[in-house]
Amino acid sequence: MAEPLLRVDNLKTQFFTDAGTVRAVDGISFEVHEGEIVGLVGESGAGKSVASMSLLRLVESPGEIVGGEITYRGETIFGLEEGPDGELRERDDMLSNEEMRDRIRGNEIAVIFQDPMESLNPVFTVGGQLREFIELNRGLGEDEAREESVEMLREVGIPDPAERYHEYPHQFSGGMRQRVLIAMALACEPNLIIADEPTTALDVTVEGQILELVDDLQAKYGTSFIWVTHDMGVVAEICDRVNVMYLGEIIEQAPVDELFHDTKHPYTTALLNSMPRPDRTVEELEPIRGVMPEAINPPSGCRFHPRCPDAREVCKRVHPGNEVVDRADGTPHRAACVKHDVFDVGYDESVPLEEEPQVTAGTPGGEDR
Amino acid sequence: MGLLRYTIVRLIQAIPVLIGITVITFILANVAPGDPVRLMLQGQEVDQELIDRIERQYGLDRPLHERYVAYMTNLLQGDLGYSIHRDRPVTELIIQRSGPTLMLVLSAYAFALATAIPLGILAATRRNEPADHVSRIVALVGVSTPSFWIGIMLILIFAIQLGVLPSSGLVYPWWGPEHYGYSGYVELLFQTIRHLLLPMIALGTLQMATLMRVERTQMIESLQGEYVKLARAYGVPERTILRKHAFQVAQLPIITIVGLNLSTALGGAVLIEYVFNINGLGRLLLEAIIGLDYQLIMGITVVIGTMFVVGVIITDISYAYVDPRVTYGDRD
Repeated sequence: MAEPLLRVDNLKTQFFTDAGTVRAVDGISFEVHEGEIVGLVGESGAGKSVASMSLLRLVESPGEIVGGEITYRGETIFGLEEGPDGELRERDDMLSNEEMRDRIRGNEIAVIFQDPMESLNPVFTVGGQLREFIELNRGLGEDEAREESVEMLREVGIPDPAERYHEYPHQFSGGMRQRVLIAMALACEPNLIIADEPTTALDVTVEGQILELVDDLQAKYGTSFIWVTHDMGVVAEICDRVNVMYLGEIIEQAPVDELFHDTKHPYTTALLNSMPRPDRTVEELEPIRGVMPEAINPPSGCRFHPRCPDAREVCKRVHPGNEVVDRADGTPHRAACVKHDVFDVGYDESVPLEEEPQVTAGTPGGEDR
Repeated sequence: MGLLRYTIVRLIQAIPVLIGITVITFILANVAPGDPVRLMLQGQEVDQELIDRIERQYGLDRPLHERYVAYMTNLLQGDLGYSIHRDRPVTELIIQRSGPTLMLVLSAYAFALATAIPLGILAATRRNEPADHVSRIVALVGVSTPSFWIGIMLILIFAIQLGVLPSSGLVYPWWGPEHYGYSGYVELLFQTIRHLLLPMIALGTLQMATLMRVERTQMIESLQGEYVKLARAYGVPERTILRKHAFQVAQLPIITIVGLNLSTALGGAVLIEYVFNINGLGRLLLEAIIGLDYQLIMGITVVIGTMFVVGVIITDISYAYVDPRVTYGDRD
């Protein structure tokens, strides 16, 4: 397979708070290839947004990327090395803040944010904001950038773009604003777009239109996408490959068809069972029991074990990595669950866990301090 | 079709407010203890007939509502009455004294805004660092110190101890350099600023302190906005974000506060004019109150009230101009 567009290797992003260290992203690895739509799925708080912001090195304080490597087209967005005194330091080939700002953000990797109502600046015209980003990231002059802005507004399906160019965000509906945000991302002609729950704030009909639009535009421009969502339905509709995140880790990674039809991780199964599916008639939806613990003090062993229907005694002790458990047409299917043979830690002999009271949050003052 | 219509509507809305101001001041002035005629006679023993004659001459024997109508009729013709004590028309006195007060209040605001905005932004970007703590202390001191005390301290330090700045009076540039015997306009400007500096700081400190805190809070909030994240994600340099994206949104409450604080500023001007011996409207009002010069008190109150109403209208209009979300009463 060709060199991936983006390679994320063992990325760790942590938040240093008064209550302790929050391991929001705890060693995730994935790749994005040219022209692919890669899903990043999980419940709220799984670390999806922090992971995607880490890719642009835009994690806000007190958050910090503490480990791992991010490579984009052979350039190092983030990378550490061991210095002569044993301390970890940023590698020399890592892009500087200025390079990230001038060369990567916007013109190579663009973002579509999740909140169309808040993401546009209320005191500037929609067109002016779009034009600013085009000028900045494509080096066009003001007039050219203006023409391009109007063109992009038309492209994302905004009627009368020349007139609406001069309007303010509050004069646009939520769906129209989301189209503007998509126009911003596409107008900068990036190779990768990170879409951070772009349809979550919209109603279902508008969501459908937006997904269709993205599909069309993706086919036209060949842009790669990282699609961050908690909605398995959206994943099924547009993604090529999927990464399922739980508590800062990727626990299953597979092409979309394998993920849906040959699910390898109990959490993914639970996610799929908790949403309505046209191909399965059920009396009642099965919600995942309990809530996700906080990343400040994750459960021992497999982080999902307190909520897992398949959990056995060994799951409390062994923390599984994300290993290849199957292959479909040469594409690896990874899952982090010890019930698969590759792990060989004695799952079959282990005693099933009694249903225990839910661990809902880590106790501050634990070992993380 | 916004701004012009909005302005006209606001001006029409101001009419009842202005009428209210005149009614209240008129009633207050007339029910206040103290008989203007006896006061005018300054305790001389005179017979009742003379008093009655004077009252008739000034219309004081007529019922209150008739006197109010007469007052309003004159007011609409620009006649605010006659100051018995000063033997001059009130309108003339007010016009003469408005210049210094406006100069003082406007310069105090200029000083407050010019210092509060950069300091507020600095405090917002260096949150919980030394610069922020210093600005917090400055703001606290500024808010809690009376302006006249600041004025007296400034005089003690800069006029008396150091002797670098004058302690009283203002130079009015509209009188021209010849009036003061200055060599030219450069010296006139220099002297104007020199004289204005201390009263301006004394009056502006309170405004500066309030505005600085508001600016800081607004900038912090604005900098956490999603639109700032968006701008960062598209590679907009941090300086542009600060100056443009975050700044513009943060200024909206500042405009409101400037407008609303106009009343405190005008009130503060009374004291500052007294401390610095400035012949402005505030000092005139104070002297009129002490001398129970009713016509003058009323005239000044009406003028200051009008200034405040106009200030609020200007605030509203500029708010609508700066914030596109503010509609002018009619949608699209």
